Amino acid sequence: MIGKEDVVKVLEKAVSLAKGFDLEVSLNAEDLSLTRFYENHIHQNLRRQDHVLTVRVIKDRKIGVAQANLLDDGSLRSAVMSALENAEVAGEEEDFPGLPKPQEIKEMASYVPATASYRPADRAEACGIVISMAKAKGLEAAGSFATVARETAVANTLGVRAYHASTEAFFRCIVQSGPNTGYADRLTRDVREITFEDVAREAIEKATLYPDAKDLPPGRYDTIFLEYALADLIRFLGMYSFGAEAKQQGRSFMASRMGQKVMGGNITIWDDGLDGRGLAVPFDSEGVPKKKVVLIDKGVAAGVVYDSRTAAKDGVKSTGHAGPSEGRFGPLPGNMFLAEGESTLDEMIANTSRGLLVTRFHYTHCPEPVRVIATGTTRDGTFLIEGGRIVARVKNLRFTESMVEAFSRVESISKSSRLTRDWWGTFSSVLPAVKIKEFTFTGATSF
Amino acid sequence: MIIELEKALGLAQKLGAEYADARYVTITQAPVSVSSDGAPKAAHYKSSGLGLRVLVDGAWGFAATPYLDPRSIEKVADEAVRIAAASARHKRGDGVSLSPLPPIRAKRQTPHKKDPLLVKAEDKVRLLKEVLDRAKKVPGVTRASASIMSYKEEKEFMSTDGRRVEQTSIHTGASLTVMARGTGDVQSRSFSDYQDAGYEFVESLDLAQKAETLGEEAVALLKAPVCPQGVTDLVMGGQMVALQIHESCGHPVELDRVLGQEATFAGTSFLTTDKKGNYRYGSPCVNIVADATAPGGLGTFGFDDEGVEAQRVDLVSEGVFVDYLTSRELAPRLGQESNGTMRAVGWNNIPLVRMTNINLEPGDWTLKEIIKDTKEGVFVETPKSWSLDDKRLNFHFGQEIAYEIKDGSLGKMLKNPAYTGVTPEFWGSCDAVAGKEKEEWLIWGTPGCAKGEPVQVIHVGHGAAPARFRKVRVGVGE
Repeated sequence: MIGKEDVVKVLEKAVSLAKGFDLEVSLNAEDLSLTRFYENHIHQNLRRQDHVLTVRVIKDRKIGVAQANLLDDGSLRSAVMSALENAEVAGEEEDFPGLPKPQEIKEMASYVPATASYRPADRAEACGIVISMAKAKGLEAAGSFATVARETAVANTLGVRAYHASTEAFFRCIVQSGPNTGYADRLTRDVREITFEDVAREAIEKATLYPDAKDLPPGRYDTIFLEYALADLIRFLGMYSFGAEAKQQGRSFMASRMGQKVMGGNITIWDDGLDGRGLAVPFDSEGVPKKKVVLIDKGVAAGVVYDSRTAAKDGVKSTGHAGPSEGRFGPLPGNMFLAEGESTLDEMIANTSRGLLVTRFHYTHCPEPVRVIATGTTRDGTFLIEGGRIVARVKNLRFTESMVEAFSRVESISKSSRLTRDWWGTFSSVLPAVKIKEFTFTGATSF
Repeated sequence: MIIELEKALGLAQKLGAEYADARYVTITQAPVSVSSDGAPKAAHYKSSGLGLRVLVDGAWGFAATPYLDPRSIEKVADEAVRIAAASARHKRGDGVSLSPLPPIRAKRQTPHKKDPLLVKAEDKVRLLKEVLDRAKKVPGVTRASASIMSYKEEKEFMSTDGRRVEQTSIHTGASLTVMARGTGDVQSRSFSDYQDAGYEFVESLDLAQKAETLGEEAVALLKAPVCPQGVTDLVMGGQMVALQIHESCGHPVELDRVLGQEATFAGTSFLTTDKKGNYRYGSPCVNIVADATAPGGLGTFGFDDEGVEAQRVDLVSEGVFVDYLTSRELAPRLGQESNGTMRAVGWNNIPLVRMTNINLEPGDWTLKEIIKDTKEGVFVETPKSWSLDDKRLNFHFGQEIAYEIKDGSLGKMLKNPAYTGVTPEFWGSCDAVAGKEKEEWLIWGTPGCAKGEPVQVIHVGHGAAPARFRKVRVGVGE
């Protein structure tokens, strides 16, 4: 950790170098420790500390960007000069509204000293719990355990000053039982909230339940998705549909259907970067405070998330969703929530005459972003439900399905949610489990 | 930086490391981009620092710092050794042993005429604006964007084995996307290619002509029928073959993945060690090599990040799977020595087994001959989506464009094509590979190969030419 005082000093120095132009400077510092294990032993273990200073210079409506990872005076000056040179090369940004002015930013307690000070020996001990429990049952465990401390800060020549410190702990494991695997993870700000025995038990149970995996032909099945799996289904709506840039460029189905019913009446999705149940950060990369944005309201297309540029284009205010250096996808919802329902997972299973339970997905992708047709394969525990109970493990299946259509067929939603991360780690969302009627599986695997 | 690297290694040994290697890396990038709905953008990124990897009691530790002052180096050595000691609590058997390497001193630099970082941003913007102008002239094009990559990696490596290597890699290339929007439909065509080369590579790409062609295709796709579903012969363009190699051969032959080291994120592999040397991966016309020495390849280098020389290795010979990509730690488990594929992104990541240039060797056909020889099928080009299961068996690839093939000729354009299959069956159905004409076999630069935790996105290359696959399931997903 650099510490708020020193971070502010660096940013003030950078801002003071702006003479005759506007400047925005952000600092993202990361102190990441990570232990990985497989075959019941630790094979990778690291700590890396770095900070990325991003300078954005605006001169005569032209924008230039530079990044550096050293924070001495010479590096700061060099980054500012480089950004200025790049601004002079750039063209005039007709739709750029200028840097944001300061707004009140909510203080959030996202930094947990216990997570930041977690030592290599602590991580080894935690991994050892899972390894021992797997070994005791003659199984093999693989996994990773990351503890991270971050500092994010933004300042600009119009007076924006924003600083936020946070921590994060992410533990995940796969337990292998013969040809079968089971998965569990926990994501939290406070490492003390992780009960490693529970994670191990969940993965072991998934790996050992019904060892003889059956072939199941592709087809349409009523399917229950655990939170891990739902994170991958909702990811493509976030990436391709819920951002203002995709809407403005006509790449999102929201462009032509705002205000219309697009999903089932039981679906409400919102983004809230201020809700501590998620990995909340109170401002975006421009230093604009995050606002709660309802994206789908009882099935109706209700809103998209904005940064300053896209907001100006639509004549609205930024919702505080600017990505780093005006990212590739434009503003994105990084803290999505899906409204809970009234079922328990057991009730969802009990109410399924024939269907599937999917634990999670691997390598999902989106061949057609406008219709949000996604594809991917199940992994680490896919089970057949018959007569209201789980009766067998099935070999992994490939789905190919429009997410807009799938979210129009959600039959039930669990009444509890959890913080979860999609396979790729694009978003960290707070999600329940859902049951979708007649979900389309288009292929099968041999394992 | 040699003094700092020596100091880091010395401290690590003093603290109990039986082996250590250190890298000082500086990455400089100057991306330039333009789009039809925004102003040209230029940026400059620089990142430098030192990474130290140590073996203590047969277990690994790694720590990295951007600072080179004595205190920071002492801290990083202490940290790496303490981390390794923690790893040793759950080490594998007697711990890690590395395949042997003699001491060496060597240097390598990308052969180039024009350093892309010294080419003025104004000149790059001018070139890209010409490209956009050509795209925008096509009636119906609603958006176009283009960018140029200029990347330099300067690296110094030292190990306690006496390996000392200095390398400078220069990577450059360009990408271009043209979009057309219709009622409820958006179609895009794109091109991208990158090389281990100087800016002369960008100048050779004829991007303006490509922009016009891609624009016409994007507009035409709006009116094209959807690729029908069915089982038919599939002819793939070279860029699509490159991605197929990447995903269904390049990743499955990474030995760390095969052994389970990447299980939680990237997955494992169907190419288990019992299959080495006896498993039919593809048809006899499938010959795949890992060639880190291929001129211009984005996966070309002099030495990997364990100090092992770049090599050319057979992976699939006449359809039979024969070898993996390996490291100094993992190769001995197969009774082998490392074939030099341990690579790290930047200074603050550990090296992992990574692809180099994974190349499908040229065949004795031309694309024209393949089409002429195909009675009925589909020709597809340019990847749009890719998805594989966690053993790399079942896959689904979407493409930007397709054409039907009827009686040996290309027919009407088709949109939203996709195909699906199972890796060994798919490569087993390959019966024609182009490359007889030199210009049809290219090493496509792929700068976005992701692996590891924390994820590392590395540059790799794929030599590929158009190829034909019999009886493939196409048009899935509609």
